[in-house]
Amino acid sequence: MSTGMRVIKSGIHATLQDQGRYGFQHLGVTPGGPADAVSANWANRLLDNGPECAVIEITAGGTELESHTHSMVAVTGGDLNLTVNGQPKAPWRSFWVKPGDVLKFGYPRYGFRAYVAVAGGFQVPNVLGSCATVARNKLGGLTGDGCHLQPNDFIPCAASSQERVPRQMPDKYVPDLHSELTLYVIPGYQQHEFSAEAWHTFWTNEYEITTESDSMGARLHGPAIAPPSGNLLSEPVCYGAIQVPGDGQPIILLQQRQTLGGYPKLGSILPLSGYNLAQRPPGSKVRFQPMGLATAQQQMRRYLRFFGL
Amino acid sequence: MHKTVSFDFSVAGVDALLMTFTSNAADDLPLLLTQLRQQILTNLSDVVVDVVPAYSTLLVYYDARTVRLYDLQLALEHLVSEIEQTRLPQAQPLLLEVPVVYGGEHGPDLERVAALNKLTPDQVIEKHLAADYVVAALGFSPGFAYLSGLDEQLVTPRLDTPRKQVPAGSVGIAGVQTAVYPTAGPGGWNLIGKAQMRWFNVNGNIQLAHGPDAMTPVQVGDKVRFIRQGDTT
Repeated sequence: MSTGMRVIKSGIHATLQDQGRYGFQHLGVTPGGPADAVSANWANRLLDNGPECAVIEITAGGTELESHTHSMVAVTGGDLNLTVNGQPKAPWRSFWVKPGDVLKFGYPRYGFRAYVAVAGGFQVPNVLGSCATVARNKLGGLTGDGCHLQPNDFIPCAASSQERVPRQMPDKYVPDLHSELTLYVIPGYQQHEFSAEAWHTFWTNEYEITTESDSMGARLHGPAIAPPSGNLLSEPVCYGAIQVPGDGQPIILLQQRQTLGGYPKLGSILPLSGYNLAQRPPGSKVRFQPMGLATAQQQMRRYLRFFGL
Repeated sequence: MHKTVSFDFSVAGVDALLMTFTSNAADDLPLLLTQLRQQILTNLSDVVVDVVPAYSTLLVYYDARTVRLYDLQLALEHLVSEIEQTRLPQAQPLLLEVPVVYGGEHGPDLERVAALNKLTPDQVIEKHLAADYVVAALGFSPGFAYLSGLDEQLVTPRLDTPRKQVPAGSVGIAGVQTAVYPTAGPGGWNLIGKAQMRWFNVNGNIQLAHGPDAMTPVQVGDKVRFIRQGDTT
């Protein structure tokens, strides 16, 4: 009999993700991948999985999974009021599951997205080198066509009974996913096209994450930032790019961003800030602070090295 | 006329370097960028992760752990000068013919484009058919080809309110650009017709001229010509 996890309820939005799909942006294929890569990487790390292993990303909760195998799982990210067979289970730890165990995610206590990894990773097909689900591109996921997880989906994974010790992250290492967030900004090449007033507005005000946000982009609402005049031709846009459309309300491009964008850009946020941003539910407030390229690269280097990426 | 190409570097993000090109033969830039992309991937594969061309820009994603920005810039400068000096045999752009059904239910904005430009719908179709377009970028969604070369008299602003659902295959105009929507989705372009064609296939085999692995029928620098297929009544 095959081993794996069965989806009882898909919840609001649950998808399979891995490090993402690279090398095809020139055809319009977005990289995709987990919205909060740090939490996703920690889920694998708690199980000694390689960083390439597929995980389940649960956004906003409501997902129920039934284990059809004996194995160890790890849950990280936001606290979505997880229960295992009805018993509350705090995130940021690994634990054994046996056939028939039910993992039920409620609605967020803090954070917005939870990650579930299993020892050895979920065994799912790759499309263009990745299983990352991108609905808009019709790529990835269990069936390869970008569909998110559906009730009765069966996600194969290997059984595991080898000696392992359940692990728990010490509290001081658990990322802070609920206090007010400051996003670090690397000013970009169009910075001089924005007026001093526009920058002043941007640095000194709070912006609220709106309900139109998703893992393609975080749409913010706050005092309008006057965009420079003139029309730009579309340009390739990188992760974290802060676009300012005509209404002056910034959009921060995230993991599933479109590959090209035509709006003026203030710069881009540090990816580590972006992963944190993806854990803030709509209605949360963010502020911005500048960061130099060298400092930003140093922080990213440390992160990539730590997770063996 | 001798072609002169110059470019600038600028920092786009923590691992992304943008090259912005200017040329006195701007129409040739997309093809040059596609060649340069290949050269970068071939020669700098140990430090470069992805290269994305669009219009007159090239975004180079690099691994900041294995290369310093300054060294990467030197290597890129060298590749550009090599391309210029050795004058690589200019790859012949492919010309793709795309049959289009204009107007009717498939082109709900044909009348709007005509009215805004003080033309008749037939004149709009005629002018849209007359040009050979250059694929200036692929993006937005897989296989979406931004075509430049639109007749000045067809330049039309985007719809004030984008449609929630544009059918796959719709041929649209937005500003100075025209394109075919590869898949259904939201969009604000003026729709003037429909082209039944596959624009993206992960399994390749879609355009043998670009090799068996080609996932899109055109690449940046190629040309597209629309041909009239017969109208719906």
